[in-house]
Amino acid sequence: MVNPIYIFILALGAGFLLALFDKVWRKLSLLVFFAALAGMAVISAQWLVSLINGGEVAMIYTAGFKPPFSINLQMGLYEAFFTLAVNVLGFLSGLYLLKRLNTSKVNAMVLLLMMIMGINGLIMTRDLFNLFVFMEITSIATFALIGINRDGKSLSAGFKYMIAGGLASVFFLIGTIYLYRFSGVLHIDSMAAVIDVASSRAVLLAVFTLLMAIVIELKPFPANGWALDVYEAVDPAVNAVIASGSSAGMLFALYKILPMLNESLLLILAAIGVTTFVASNVMGLMQDNAKRLLGYSSIGQIGLIVGVLAMFPVLGLELAGSSMILIIGGLFISHFIAKAGLFWLAGMLNKEKIEEWGDLKKRPIYLFAFGVFILALVGLPPFPSFFAKWQMVMLFAKGGQYFFIAMVLLGTLLEAAYLFRWLGKILKADVKVKIKVAFTQAIPVLIAVLSLLTLGAFASTYVPGGESLKIFYIPMLVIAVLFVLDFLPAWLKNTLIIAAMGYYTYDLLLGLEGYRFMFGIIFLVGGTLLLIPGYAYKGKRTGFYPFAVMMYTGLAGLLMAENTLQLFTAWELMTIGSYFLIIRGKKSKPHAFSYLLFSLGGAYVMLSGLGLFFANNGGSIDLGLLSVITDASPLIYILLVLGFLTKLASMGLHIWLPGAHGEAETDVSPMVSAILLKAGMFGLIIVMSAIQDPMIGKVHINYILSWLGAITVFLGNLAAIYQEDAKRLLAYSSVGNLGYVLFGLSMMTHLGWLTSITYALNHFLFKSLLFLAIGGVVWRTKTKNMYQMGGLITRMPISFISVLIGIITLAGVPPLSGFAGKWLTYNILLEKGWYAQGAVVILGGLIAFLYCFRLIYSVFLGQLKDEHRHVKEAPLPIIIPQVIMMMAIMVFSIYPGLILGHVGDFLVKIFPNGAINWQNGVAFTPFGHWDGLTILMITGVVFMMVLVWLLISNRKSQKVKQFNIVYAAERPSRPELTHVGYNFFAHYSKALGILSTPLAVNFWKGVGRSFHAVGDFLRRIYNGNGQTYLMHIILFVVVVYAFVIGG
Amino acid sequence: MTLITYLGFILILVGLWGMLTNKNIIKIIIGFSIVDTGVHLVMVSIGYLKDRTAPILDSAVLKADAVNQVVDPIPSALVLTAIVIGLAVTALMLSYAIKLYEKNKTLDISTFKELKW
Repeated sequence: MVNPIYIFILALGAGFLLALFDKVWRKLSLLVFFAALAGMAVISAQWLVSLINGGEVAMIYTAGFKPPFSINLQMGLYEAFFTLAVNVLGFLSGLYLLKRLNTSKVNAMVLLLMMIMGINGLIMTRDLFNLFVFMEITSIATFALIGINRDGKSLSAGFKYMIAGGLASVFFLIGTIYLYRFSGVLHIDSMAAVIDVASSRAVLLAVFTLLMAIVIELKPFPANGWALDVYEAVDPAVNAVIASGSSAGMLFALYKILPMLNESLLLILAAIGVTTFVASNVMGLMQDNAKRLLGYSSIGQIGLIVGVLAMFPVLGLELAGSSMILIIGGLFISHFIAKAGLFWLAGMLNKEKIEEWGDLKKRPIYLFAFGVFILALVGLPPFPSFFAKWQMVMLFAKGGQYFFIAMVLLGTLLEAAYLFRWLGKILKADVKVKIKVAFTQAIPVLIAVLSLLTLGAFASTYVPGGESLKIFYIPMLVIAVLFVLDFLPAWLKNTLIIAAMGYYTYDLLLGLEGYRFMFGIIFLVGGTLLLIPGYAYKGKRTGFYPFAVMMYTGLAGLLMAENTLQLFTAWELMTIGSYFLIIRGKKSKPHAFSYLLFSLGGAYVMLSGLGLFFANNGGSIDLGLLSVITDASPLIYILLVLGFLTKLASMGLHIWLPGAHGEAETDVSPMVSAILLKAGMFGLIIVMSAIQDPMIGKVHINYILSWLGAITVFLGNLAAIYQEDAKRLLAYSSVGNLGYVLFGLSMMTHLGWLTSITYALNHFLFKSLLFLAIGGVVWRTKTKNMYQMGGLITRMPISFISVLIGIITLAGVPPLSGFAGKWLTYNILLEKGWYAQGAVVILGGLIAFLYCFRLIYSVFLGQLKDEHRHVKEAPLPIIIPQVIMMMAIMVFSIYPGLILGHVGDFLVKIFPNGAINWQNGVAFTPFGHWDGLTILMITGVVFMMVLVWLLISNRKSQKVKQFNIVYAAERPSRPELTHVGYNFFAHYSKALGILSTPLAVNFWKGVGRSFHAVGDFLRRIYNGNGQTYLMHIILFVVVVYAFVIGG
Repeated sequence: MTLITYLGFILILVGLWGMLTNKNIIKIIIGFSIVDTGVHLVMVSIGYLKDRTAPILDSAVLKADAVNQVVDPIPSALVLTAIVIGLAVTALMLSYAIKLYEKNKTLDISTFKELKW
């Protein structure tokens, strides 16, 4: 084993020799430079390996004395990990800068080496004054490095940095000298053992001063304007080292002095951290300069880590345990790698505004890297920060820190907002240029991506309960393979995926029981079926298949979830996958964005619920314990239900749906509308079947849900009738349809659930049928506006039949399976006696007739438009699944018992009473009976009679040509003149317009605007003046001190 | 707390006042130097013991009796280091000032505000 002191010897030795070698030959100095950094990384790496395998911590004593009489360095597990990260960062930064290091003076190399060495020292030293020295070495090297790039912005930013850094040093020195005065030592551990902040005000002040010095270096809000200016102005490659490396060193310094703080100081530190996190993410919302935005994000992330770290001792969690490795390590390393990677990308692109980053689009690898970095920053699977945040919420909930959790989740959501908006802008950018990337710049970025993925995989095994995440291994592998094979043609990938999904479905489905089996049919069989239309797409369809599989992985994960970790991981995977599918639509940018925000917001509400659950069941993640009722159950119920309702798009939380489903691609719309919405329902079933009937005071929560469901049915259907866009009409109709589902579930009776679950299956069938048929029409006519269509029955007859079958099922008219739902609804209304809600639901059902009629009339009946005289039937791949769905609807209409009986069987376990009594395929309830086959036959007979009568009486009729009509003495010359399509239900709009005021849309827009306004207001404090920033720091310290004294 | 300590703190405040009220970068740097000097004074004063001599072992101070004759050597050592570092930082600041002046033909800090929000 190489003594860790060689890290410093290597750096210093190389640093002095570099100038000498450089005189001889530039290549030689470069070699020495990289050799030194590589050597430092290797030393850290071998210590890390040894310490992981149980090796002993290395203590380095200087001058032949033991501490506290000598300066002492330590190489433990954390030191090894941190120094390895920093040294690798140094090496990769050097590589990234190779071209410029080669052409500029040797100083740059020396300074970079010194900066990295200084950070190593910050991490390893155990001596307070030595810490100061390393802090200054790092700072001076950084200042000088910033100054190398001699543009005005860098210089002025660097000067502000120096003033702030100088002030921090002053605090550090005063704190150190007084702590020495009170403890008699400089060795941090010996000092921490002696120092007691409670002993006197002077000791408290000394510790406080030292703390403030480190906190200022960690850029707390609002004393961080200088840091933002640095991030904006300085070269991105240097920024990568500052944002990741220097912050790592200072965080470690903070970690070392934590034992000296008492609880009130720790709480204040936590408050500073979380405030910084939330505030900088609010301010980031208004930012359009890419590097400054990254700066806001960096400051926020460091604030988050500081806040979480400070809470550890407060909650009595070990400062050196596995939770700490997972949580702090996960948050830290995700930020460390992702931020360095993003700054590297910034350097490659060399574009100031975030709008201009669209150039990445032509480079799928870097686009992928950007996506990885953003997901890692936000904390989504499969990255370490996801598992870190998960475990943090669990443990902090157990410690009762709900306010802290809420703030962290709020800040995360805000960060997700600006990062994903940025991603959306890139994905939807219109670019022609292909940026050139040097090989040496590509390597660091790719290594960053790979290490994030590797560490994510590691974190997934490290998190408590991680072994249960095995269910995701194979699908995640498939996704990875798909990313690699994305250059293959779409038809080939489609075939592979259908085969893989088919096998997976076969493998999984038979092992599922009860409602999981039912949803398995919708998620997996349905999912496989809806992949068939993909054959209609030519070319590669880059980026479609990995995310489609990711979405289905999430859905399959829900089916298998037995604990909350699996559930939440599956949920987030599904969200990510579907986001990337939805944003593929041409005009999907804003809609995919709002979809993501609602999904993440809902997921975080859910996560708080899961945390509360964890805290109240003795720290278990087993979903089975959900049915153990505790005092917290009603609140858990509300949080989880609220989370799932965002996916179910209930009224008020629905505003993302119409755009997201309406603007999506032809085969994505049915996937997200017919399948994905059911995920919310699946979640509701898990929670509702476990907790059943919680109350707040004297109110049944389910009673409120029944009203929410009823109103959703009514307003969703009402909004659907006013749509001009056929796909949006269907989307709004889904809002209403899922309202039925919620209404049925909220009844909490056997019949209610039976209806709801059967309806879900029906909805899957008819909604994918309708979306595919209309998608096919849009595919051919190139418009989604119904008033531009008409008379297509002659051109697209199969699509017409699909829509006809679809709307009959949707409207719940005999003879098709939708009627089963209606019939049951009336039964349960009688059973439960919820007449008021029932009336609203039934009225909503009547409104559904209106849009069903509009859909089939405006599109297929009426007058064929001139430009559509030669359109063909939809492509075969889009037609085939429709035929299969129609057949399925027919089968279920004739034999309703196939589903109802099965669903009834497992519902008996949850609701033993009120089940349907089946006799020879005829359903009996206390209120009547229903025989699917007979109804079908009667309807068929009536239909045939009318048809025959029409055929007979129409024998003598004369065929009429399209324009063979005259009204008001005028002969229409264009089809548009005889076909009322636009503003179809104008009269209803006049009468009921007030009900379709977009209250929810306005509300959420207002929320968004308020956050932006607050952010814009707050960021005005950063006026760019170095003296103002200095004042901020001084005031910050004074105010914090007031808090320390006050409480 | 000795008189020197108070003096040190007064210097720190004077320096800070100077940094906050002068717009000229050179004056700000001078303010910073004054703060630094104040800090150094505070540091030495902490290690000072009354009627003792400098912690240098020679014929006047014998090794055996040094503990009773000299002041605490550690703060003195720290101050030496701090002075060196302070010098480096000041030098760097001044070179920044030169470059800033070359670029902008002014030393007024309030004019360097292109970076904000």
